[in-house]
Amino acid sequence: MNGRGRIIFHIDMNSFYASVEQAYHPELKGKPVAIAGNPSERKGILVTCSYEARAKGIFTTMAVWEAKRQCPNLIVLPPNFERYRHASKAMFDILRSYTDLVEPVSIDEGYVDVTEIAHGIEAIQLAEMIQTRILHELDLPCSIGIAPNKFLAKTASDMKKPMGITILRKRDVEKMLWHLPVIEMHGVGSSTSNKLKEIGIATIGDLARSEDYLLKANLGKNGLRLKNRAQGIDQREVDPNSIYDTKSVGHSVTFPSDLMILSELQAAIEELCTRVAKRLDAKKLAGHTVSILIRDADWHNYTRSKTSQNAIFKKKDIEVIALSLIEKHWNGNPVRLLGVTVSNVVDQSDTVEQLSLFTYEKYAKEEPIRKVVEELQYKFGKDMITKGIKHAKKTTYESKTSFSKDFLDDHRERG
Amino acid sequence: MKFSIMRDRLLDGLNDVMKAVSSKTTIPILTGIKIDISSEGVTLTGSDADITIQTFIPVEEDGKEIVQVKEPGSIVLQARMFNEIIRKLPTNEVVVEVSEQLQTRIQSGKSDFHLIGSDASEYPLLPDISADRQITLPADLLKTIIRETVFAVSTTESRPVLTGVKWEIKDNSLVCIATDSHRLAQRKVTLEQLPSEEMNVVIPGKSLTELSKILSDSPHPVDIFMTNQQVLFKTPDVLFFSRLLEGNYPDTSRLIPEESSTIVTINGKALLQGIDRASLLAREDRNNVVRFSTIDSGTVEISSNSPEIGKVEEEIQIDSFEGEELKISFSAKYMMDALKAIDGQEVVIQFTGAMRPFTIRSIHDDAILQLILPVRTY
Repeated sequence: MNGRGRIIFHIDMNSFYASVEQAYHPELKGKPVAIAGNPSERKGILVTCSYEARAKGIFTTMAVWEAKRQCPNLIVLPPNFERYRHASKAMFDILRSYTDLVEPVSIDEGYVDVTEIAHGIEAIQLAEMIQTRILHELDLPCSIGIAPNKFLAKTASDMKKPMGITILRKRDVEKMLWHLPVIEMHGVGSSTSNKLKEIGIATIGDLARSEDYLLKANLGKNGLRLKNRAQGIDQREVDPNSIYDTKSVGHSVTFPSDLMILSELQAAIEELCTRVAKRLDAKKLAGHTVSILIRDADWHNYTRSKTSQNAIFKKKDIEVIALSLIEKHWNGNPVRLLGVTVSNVVDQSDTVEQLSLFTYEKYAKEEPIRKVVEELQYKFGKDMITKGIKHAKKTTYESKTSFSKDFLDDHRERG
Repeated sequence: MKFSIMRDRLLDGLNDVMKAVSSKTTIPILTGIKIDISSEGVTLTGSDADITIQTFIPVEEDGKEIVQVKEPGSIVLQARMFNEIIRKLPTNEVVVEVSEQLQTRIQSGKSDFHLIGSDASEYPLLPDISADRQITLPADLLKTIIRETVFAVSTTESRPVLTGVKWEIKDNSLVCIATDSHRLAQRKVTLEQLPSEEMNVVIPGKSLTELSKILSDSPHPVDIFMTNQQVLFKTPDVLFFSRLLEGNYPDTSRLIPEESSTIVTINGKALLQGIDRASLLAREDRNNVVRFSTIDSGTVEISSNSPEIGKVEEEIQIDSFEGEELKISFSAKYMMDALKAIDGQEVVIQFTGAMRPFTIRSIHDDAILQLILPVRTY
């Protein structure tokens, strides 16, 4: 190491889904293109849109009907996840041709630690080379942020889009960021921003100069973390293995028309639970916490969760909890979106099940077999024999909306 | 209405009735405490609709004057506010006076509060309880029974009836049972005088926990009256009413194994400490599971293995061992709760298999029975 700290790249693909479509269909280039979950349904929302569309005032999360009114010649396409997945993999392969220190964050962005392979001015040349290769080989635009840490690199990649390369040094933070409102900071959403406002913190500079105790009292640990970020400090390392840590498995659905009847909500919850259970099964995971997300017609979101002692993964078990949550907490307002997430996940093989007085008998039958298995394991080692068949990991995607995370399985399989 | 009262005695009374007052009540008047003044003394009532506590402060106690009644009457005052005010008053003599329009004046020393009260006639009446079904237990025994059972009630609402403790009076004994379906605590008490009929009620665990805070550690008798909807615990100066839980309590008698294939006798305290140590590593894990393995006729092993934290093994001497070898996993917390309820004596643990419930009893008597369901590992 050269003692001057690290050099981190943040690569952010520009309007990724739309760009991939334009690369596949060159005739779409230069035209306003948007991807919507379900373009035929008027209430569907835009997942992303090309820069040509953005120039006409179109933005992500806009409703399809609204976007069409704003820009009548907008081309709205359904998503083609298999395509995006391949493009993403090719992009990360290019990054990995330089170094193994590549940390995918989602399907279209990732960090690269180039400290060991580029010094000083070489870093800019390397960034230019990566950007050019991605453009020439994949026909995809990206922006790259260069900085001494992840937070600044991500902030930098956001500064010039599309096809930008931006260097953000720690000494630039005061000049470049401090005048901005806190909500502009990565990691600050509207609720954090409101909390900060209450204690008199409006800009990133205010945050950087604020008192530790005040932040800690109002925002907990996260407050101090944000203050560090505002000062340009971020100690997180680029960790190629972070993709192994699945923290939750969830699924959500936006309805073409708002749901207003409990039985409709219940049916939707059941469908979501089926999908979540399939994905948990595909990943061989189980979780302790089930949460539901409800977004009403006014875009008001609320989540409710319940943590149980046994880690669960079966559809029925998830469903019982999710349904009880919805029955208990739905306030009766029309529902636009519903989500079900299982979090606090662990590998199914690491889970244990607390037996119940009223159901233990079905397991009691297993006793003789378990005894034999235990004896064999004792004699020949734990992996000699296990219960059940380990299914080969499924390669199809059980989910569409959480796709941007599920793609990480592609990287996992490399190992 | 007007009376004066010794502040410390009023605070004691408030302390009891405040246990029933909840800020989350949906009935506005129940955020208040009802104060009734008669020539005999002061009656305070607090309630959250599930639990109602009434305490009586007599005019005179042990020859000492506590209350001076100038004019009888009733008023309801904001519970939290009234309690705070009384707590912070400067002298030990408090004068409370209610004038027209429920205006209440509280004076002590040079301090002078004016509170707006509510009409006492709006306060719900006490549940009506007839005296025909009654048992009597000493306060300290009642407290012990609660301590030995209430920890095992369910804390989730998925089966509401399991959030209570079942009290069953049958064959000249009282049997108290609590289970959250993963473990069960049962306590038997022989009764001296029997009520006329068999009884079977489910008392909310929360009520018993609150009751236990009010009871003294003395052998003074507590009279217990039961109806279909309510139970009343009555001491000389406190009435404690609780709603009963509805619904059928599952029949647990058949769930308690009659035979066993492995019997271990062990010092409860040594086992408790061993499990406490073994669970240090497991505690991080939500399940907090330890493994119990018989080694030979004089030893068992307690172990725990958390893949990301580490592992621990500990051998514990046992007094006796009968039957088949066994390896079983269970929640360290449940085992520790059970052993604490039995109070560190020599215990007999009876197993019937690695996937079946096992029981823990004191070697000296079988008044207390603890039952735990094991954990299935994959």
